[in-house]
Amino acid sequence: MKFAPGFLPWVLLAVLIILPALGLSPNITRLLFITLVWTTTSIAWNLLGGFAGQVSFGFAVFYGLGAYTAALLIDRGVNPYLAFMASAVVAVIASFLIGLPTFRLRGPYFAIATIGVTEAVRVVMSNLSITGGASGFRISEHGPFRQVHHYYTALGAAAIAVAISILVSSSRFGLALRAIRQDEDAAAGLGVNPYQCKLWTHGLAAALTGMAGGIYARYAGYIHPQGVFAFATSISILLMPVIGGVGTVWGAVLGGVIFGIVEEELVANFPQIHLLLYGTLLILIILFEPDGLLGLLRRLFRRYGRDSQSKEADQALWGRSRLEGREL
Amino acid sequence: MSFEIPERHICGFIGPNGAGKTTLFSIITGAFPPSAGSIELRGNDVTGMKAAALVKLGVARTHQIVRPFKAMTVLENVQVAVHFGRQPIAATAAAREQAMNVLKLVGLEAKASSLASVLSLGQQKRLEVARALATGPDLLLLDEICGGLTSAETRDMLHLLQDIRERGATIMYVEHDMKAVMAVCDRITVLNFGQKLAEGTPQEIQNNEAVITAYLGKPVPGEHPSA
Repeated sequence: MKFAPGFLPWVLLAVLIILPALGLSPNITRLLFITLVWTTTSIAWNLLGGFAGQVSFGFAVFYGLGAYTAALLIDRGVNPYLAFMASAVVAVIASFLIGLPTFRLRGPYFAIATIGVTEAVRVVMSNLSITGGASGFRISEHGPFRQVHHYYTALGAAAIAVAISILVSSSRFGLALRAIRQDEDAAAGLGVNPYQCKLWTHGLAAALTGMAGGIYARYAGYIHPQGVFAFATSISILLMPVIGGVGTVWGAVLGGVIFGIVEEELVANFPQIHLLLYGTLLILIILFEPDGLLGLLRRLFRRYGRDSQSKEADQALWGRSRLEGREL
Repeated sequence: MSFEIPERHICGFIGPNGAGKTTLFSIITGAFPPSAGSIELRGNDVTGMKAAALVKLGVARTHQIVRPFKAMTVLENVQVAVHFGRQPIAATAAAREQAMNVLKLVGLEAKASSLASVLSLGQQKRLEVARALATGPDLLLLDEICGGLTSAETRDMLHLLQDIRERGATIMYVEHDMKAVMAVCDRITVLNFGQKLAEGTPQEIQNNEAVITAYLGKPVPGEHPSA
């Protein structure tokens, strides 16, 4: 099968730009907004967890810090877009502070350390007086609330995230990340500095996640530590790329979209057990389809005999070969 | 233990299992920190330096147990070394071309677009050499690159070593295959239990009493060896 995926992202972007003009209900716009915010974080996590293979349970820290930074600044009358940039900067600084010690650890030890950091930050934020502590923070923004503005902001952030993800995956930096993911020591033996590469990737991912947190906070108007800094937030951010197809540009997008749409229904209908469902889903994916939905789709393509053996098409479409997913 | 490696030589390191050959390589290339002593590269102290930094100074190694990036193509494997080696090439097209040149040198150009995981052991060993070579080293540490190869493959590999030296690199070479070591090395150092046992040309080593004892053991007094 000849497949030129190059134009598809543009079609998708065009559709998403035109969509509000077709008169969406506020509820659908809200759902799309949330989905775009989640997708941005999913793509961000995938940079570090997918491309570089460093599984972090600590992205709620960046999401939360971004949310609080934007909230505090917007509340004081700062331009929201400047505030989002500040969110990104604060998240990057946090990523370095966390990354400098934790990237001395490898694999599961790194993952465990990130859990500890998240919990510590959540406890601190719950007791900090300038942010209102555990009772949360209410943002008062002057001017009318225009839902579609929020939608376009989130769309912009998601588009930036996709663009960065594509750039990284096709660059020599991306190649270095793939090498680190497969064999860190061998990569170092060829001149790659794994520690630095991980720090930069962490920073890039944190910037995007912080920005997403800021955009969410402005829309929500009220944030609290048990929400944005929750462990469940970290899990959600990790779950999306895993559902979609870890280590690929479009797997992270797909996972974000599906999660964004399904999550609310799950929380609404199964408030007590939705985390249990996520856990079960995670186990099922890792056991039966480590490449996520994208891997499943590709298998179906193969089964029905349209995509014979074109490795180049595979690479272009999925950003990597199938084998890599097995090495998470 | 103390020794020097003259430039543009192939220096062999031999010794029984557990003599410390691979450990020696690991210490030189920064995988393990030395507990004592120092390593100098052209008069500059490089003791305990990390692998990535050593590559920039022109030191590269291969691994006894091959470590290819299995989910990458052969070309991409080498491309990593070209992108991040001693004289990094940033542009993808130029890096691919350079990587292809190195693959031609080791005779893997036909496999360039195969995944590294499908290569035979002999090909994977050549890929190890190609990757190390692609970093542009002055000093190349090769750890058992002929282990498990057929005799024809070994012969090709030894030609390759001589080729590399002709191009101006210095080689430290660990190998169990005595014939290979004797054939290709200018100097040989023998290790045993972490100590230097002997040092000299292949000729001298072959006739060294201590070396023969280390490998074959002492003859029992009064018993004829051929009995």
